[in-house]
Amino acid sequence: MGNLRRIVLDVLKPLEPNIVDLVRKISTLNGVDGVNITIYEIDHHVENAKITVEGEQLSFQSITAVIEENGGAVHSIDEVAAGQRTVEEVETHQD
Amino acid sequence: MKNNRRRWSSLSEFLEEIQNYNQIAGIAEIARRYFAMNAFDGVLTTIGVLAGNYLAGVRDLSIPIRIGIATSIAMGISGLWGAYLTETAERQRELTALEKISLIDQSETSIGRASRFAVIVVSIVDGLAPALAAIIVLIPLFLDNIIQNPILSYGLAGITALLSLFGLGLFLGKVSEKNLIGYGIKTMMAGLLAIAINFLIGAE
Repeated sequence: MGNLRRIVLDVLKPLEPNIVDLVRKISTLNGVDGVNITIYEIDHHVENAKITVEGEQLSFQSITAVIEENGGAVHSIDEVAAGQRTVEEVETHQD
Repeated sequence: MKNNRRRWSSLSEFLEEIQNYNQIAGIAEIARRYFAMNAFDGVLTTIGVLAGNYLAGVRDLSIPIRIGIATSIAMGISGLWGAYLTETAERQRELTALEKISLIDQSETSIGRASRFAVIVVSIVDGLAPALAAIIVLIPLFLDNIIQNPILSYGLAGITALLSLFGLGLFLGKVSEKNLIGYGIKTMMAGLLAIAINFLIGAE
């Protein structure tokens, strides 16, 4: 099976643990080169986050386990990339 | 996501986990509040025990010591039970609200564990604070063999109580980062008021 290089997740998470802690925890996982968490909506108890993880050999299970362990729920997988190199989304005429 | 394995293999990892729980559940803040509130209760209740015994003419100090210890045990159990039940109910409510929003079972996440840990810590603090405060006030009575004057022991216990209240006020002042002495005087005034009312009512 091809190696995952990028995963973009839409996550609903509690305000605590905050994204500083969460990003550090994900970044220590094996195969992870870098992580970005961006908050795009904040509610009373929770916030919606876009979590982008990049690396040579990502483990989807490990990443979602850390998110769930910290109270987050993965709503959707918004983008993935796998293979020998990361392929960016291509704009087409329909876009 | 049930996972009951031990989550730390060294003391530093354990401390990191505790710090994490503290951040999630705000344990230090609420424990501090419970400590101040219940230590205050413990000192004032013991002032009542001492004033009552003194005014009733009890000079055999083993009596106020026994009453004091019995009261401190009762206060400790009351604090432990009360805090355990109220904190469990409150935190369960918060967890349930979060579960409704996130649509996942939070009981085995770090949030659920932090919540349970908070209940234990807060209950212990709530139980120990009044009991320890009461025992501290009783110290001069324990030293009766050295002091050998029951009235002086009562007096010293009263002074210990007022100093404990003052110390508690300083602690609150430090928490608020405001006037330390002012807080100390305010808490000590409560002790003085309790003593004064007891003497006014109890004086023959």
